[in-house]
Amino acid sequence: MSQKVIDLLKKLRKAALDRNLKVLLQYHEEDSYLMRFANSAISLNTNEHLVRLDMVAFDDKKQVSFSLIVDPADFATMEQGLDRLVEMLPHAEPLSYVPTFPVFSKNVFDERAFDPELAALSNQERLDYFNILAEGLESDDVKLSGIFSSGTTTTAQISTTNEHAQYFRSTDAQITAVLSSESLKWEVNAEQSAQKKSDLDPEGLHEDLALLVKHYQEDQAVQLPVGKYTVVLGPAATAELSMMMGYFGMMGQAYKQGYSFLKEEDQGKLIFSEKISLADDPDAVELFAKSHDQYGFERKKFALIEDGKFGSFMWDQDSADEFGQNPTGHSVDNVSVVMSGGDKEVSTLKELLEMEHDEDILYIPYIHYMNVVNPSQGMVTGSSRFGALYLKKGGGVQVPFNVRLTQKFTDFFGERVQWLSKKQVAYNVSSSYGQRNPMALLVPRFICVKGIEISHSNPSY
Amino acid sequence: MKDIIRKQFDRLRARGAHYVDTRWYPYEDSNFLYMWNGNLKANNASSQSGLGVRVLYNGAWGFSASSDLANPEAIYEKAFDNARIASERVTFPVRLAEKDAIVDSFNSPNEIDPFTIGLDEKVAFLKKMDEALNQPGVVQRTSMVEFVRKQIIFMDSEGSEIEKNIIEVFPRIGVMGFDKDGGMQRLTYMPGRKAATRGWESIDEVDFLKNADRIVGELNQLLVAEDAPSGKMSVILLPGIMFLQTHETIGHALELDRILGYELSFAGGSFVRLEDFGNLRYGSEKLTARANALEPNSPGSFGYDDDGVPAQDNLLIDKGILVGAITGRQMVEEANAKAKRQIFDGSSGANRATSFYRVPIERMTNINIDPGTDGSLEDIIANTEYGLVLDGDKSWSIGSNREQFHFACDIGWLVQDGQKKQVVKNPTYRGETLPFYNSLSAVGDESTWHVHYVENCGKGAPNQIMQLGHGIPVCRFDNVQVGE
Repeated sequence: MSQKVIDLLKKLRKAALDRNLKVLLQYHEEDSYLMRFANSAISLNTNEHLVRLDMVAFDDKKQVSFSLIVDPADFATMEQGLDRLVEMLPHAEPLSYVPTFPVFSKNVFDERAFDPELAALSNQERLDYFNILAEGLESDDVKLSGIFSSGTTTTAQISTTNEHAQYFRSTDAQITAVLSSESLKWEVNAEQSAQKKSDLDPEGLHEDLALLVKHYQEDQAVQLPVGKYTVVLGPAATAELSMMMGYFGMMGQAYKQGYSFLKEEDQGKLIFSEKISLADDPDAVELFAKSHDQYGFERKKFALIEDGKFGSFMWDQDSADEFGQNPTGHSVDNVSVVMSGGDKEVSTLKELLEMEHDEDILYIPYIHYMNVVNPSQGMVTGSSRFGALYLKKGGGVQVPFNVRLTQKFTDFFGERVQWLSKKQVAYNVSSSYGQRNPMALLVPRFICVKGIEISHSNPSY
Repeated sequence: MKDIIRKQFDRLRARGAHYVDTRWYPYEDSNFLYMWNGNLKANNASSQSGLGVRVLYNGAWGFSASSDLANPEAIYEKAFDNARIASERVTFPVRLAEKDAIVDSFNSPNEIDPFTIGLDEKVAFLKKMDEALNQPGVVQRTSMVEFVRKQIIFMDSEGSEIEKNIIEVFPRIGVMGFDKDGGMQRLTYMPGRKAATRGWESIDEVDFLKNADRIVGELNQLLVAEDAPSGKMSVILLPGIMFLQTHETIGHALELDRILGYELSFAGGSFVRLEDFGNLRYGSEKLTARANALEPNSPGSFGYDDDGVPAQDNLLIDKGILVGAITGRQMVEEANAKAKRQIFDGSSGANRATSFYRVPIERMTNINIDPGTDGSLEDIIANTEYGLVLDGDKSWSIGSNREQFHFACDIGWLVQDGQKKQVVKNPTYRGETLPFYNSLSAVGDESTWHVHYVENCGKGAPNQIMQLGHGIPVCRFDNVQVGE
């Protein structure tokens, strides 16, 4: 497999050299499977096998690119892509800086995140997984929805500088299961990220779903008054907040373009809770990490937040070129971000519900449709969804209707952080817009934060 | 290729498939140019082709797609196998609403194919915009344009064969600066479409230059402006934000697949129930909304959807009462059966896929608000005691059943005693969908109405991006919570 891909790139490289082109050639192949459930049935069962080629041509300060989805056997079409670059390059506008042309100094072969068993997962196994997680939980009113998305992603790069090439292959699965009441419109979910087949745990999802369904069917539903609450975030909420904070706050380009709430002078300063440490870790195989970026830069562990102190901005090659910075190995489709765990021995939803607490706690597992209201302030908004619970001081549980939170990143991850779970879980944040690019974060199972403001509370489900 | 496709239909029908269709994209080409502060940061062309095959077997869908056309039978075989396994878990067997077998073609109206325009001319347009935006107060300026052309051959086992040739042009300019408090402020302009075409000729340089000056002027007012007030007040939404309000809380809320629970694992559901059609008061009597896929100049008009159903103009909300939805062939059958009454007479022709490798789902066409009788923008302002005029889509966040929302806008103007006053920055508003639309107190006339396109509506799993439009007038809502 790898040799076939490399041979193709080398052949294409030769064709580029024949045209006097200085080109970076990037290969992307996906073998994607998605079984989708709705109304307790399989509503769609699909697969796509697609090969993409991105060709970027350089000429001093000029840069143009051509992308195609192509039959890997159709070399003539690929050559036409090179011919398009030859046509486009003279008409390109010079940049104000010289973009770095990638030089791969050695061959790289990274299949650490590839599992042949997950790659070979069958339709029947995907269906069996869902049958196990939903066993006994569906009814005339309670319906199952969800996705089982899995696949293999292969990427490779070569440039016309030399014959060294990079090759990466990974497997991933993203599973979301939702149980919802048709009559009342409540919805609870359980999710899983997997990098290898042995990660798959339908029984674990069943346990969480059964517990949530029981509470949603038996406990009192309430419209919470607006105001401040002690909130426990689940992994979905923590991962999505961390990802958005990284994207808007910690990318060098976003900072230079005014989209960050962080400033250069914040580097090394205590901006967040001392309990928070966040790093991009290329050794986190369960996060589909890659050893090198697309420019051949060997990725190393990169501290974004260390004991509450902001580390550094991440610089991809192009932004680094433009703004006179040093690249940090972040010319990648996905980072592999890890939030360190804390010292709280609460590892499961059941343990959270059984945990002693001397105040009311609002558990928010998931924040729906999060968006940045004010990037300069790092202010985001979103609504709770999928199984929020209100844990009363005396031990009872209520089911809150969805609430809206409009808060700053530093409200969530700043000085009001109370505790973090010791246990960490991988949360899959892959989107399937366009090409498959698996991405997950490793985050504490729970984070407790005081003083989170609820600005709106739904009057019903 | 068509003969091969027909043979595969026959082969799978003989094996028990109830229905098979294919979308063959001989080509889909795009060209994206993006200039940032004078640097042409993106100069990208792309091309793709392939087959997407949908098979209905024993009441369940299977889909497969590939760019490898050397062995089309393998794609059909995979789609059939995917449907076969899906049929092991069926609760409501898929049925498709009746439609005619149609042999036809559709060409989106355009005078000049943008792909016949040289790169030099396109770059020259961006440079001209960049120069026009390069004025005091502007820290960053962006200008971009995207061109798409695609040919789609739709064929189904019921005898339809439809060829679509579609061209789109998506231009946009923007400016950004830092206000007196160090906050980032930005404004963008994308033209409304009143012309009847959508080719290169739709890029009106004079209009762009006029609006470049306008947004630079407004940005400079924002840089020294105070924050918008908070509290309950009227909001007058210009089309630059009203299109998104409509998109998120009428459009998505009325997609029938969401209403029937088919999006619960990702995008969410809808507060609308089947029993609501024909009697739910969605908004005040001033609200009439429609799904009109016949607007000639919008990406929400496509001739035939990906079920092969002709584009239509259908009422969604009639003088405030909910009467229709955004539908495809599958969902109308299921909705009528579940409601035990004939809510929908047939598909409204809104089942679309973003590419050959995605399956069609219910998508907005042009979700429009009819112009009203409350005059011009100036007339509406003159009749407003206290509130804000709002424009620009800075951020949006909507409840999972589309029951509530929060929007941040790029710019606001204070209105006091019927007069438009100073610019205010960082305006936001939120509300609950039904009370909000029932507070609709003024709808602007034709002079305030234009078609606003959306090039990046996301939905579905696997995820899909879709292009569509909104024909929108100025609207005023009263007693709205502002500033949270």
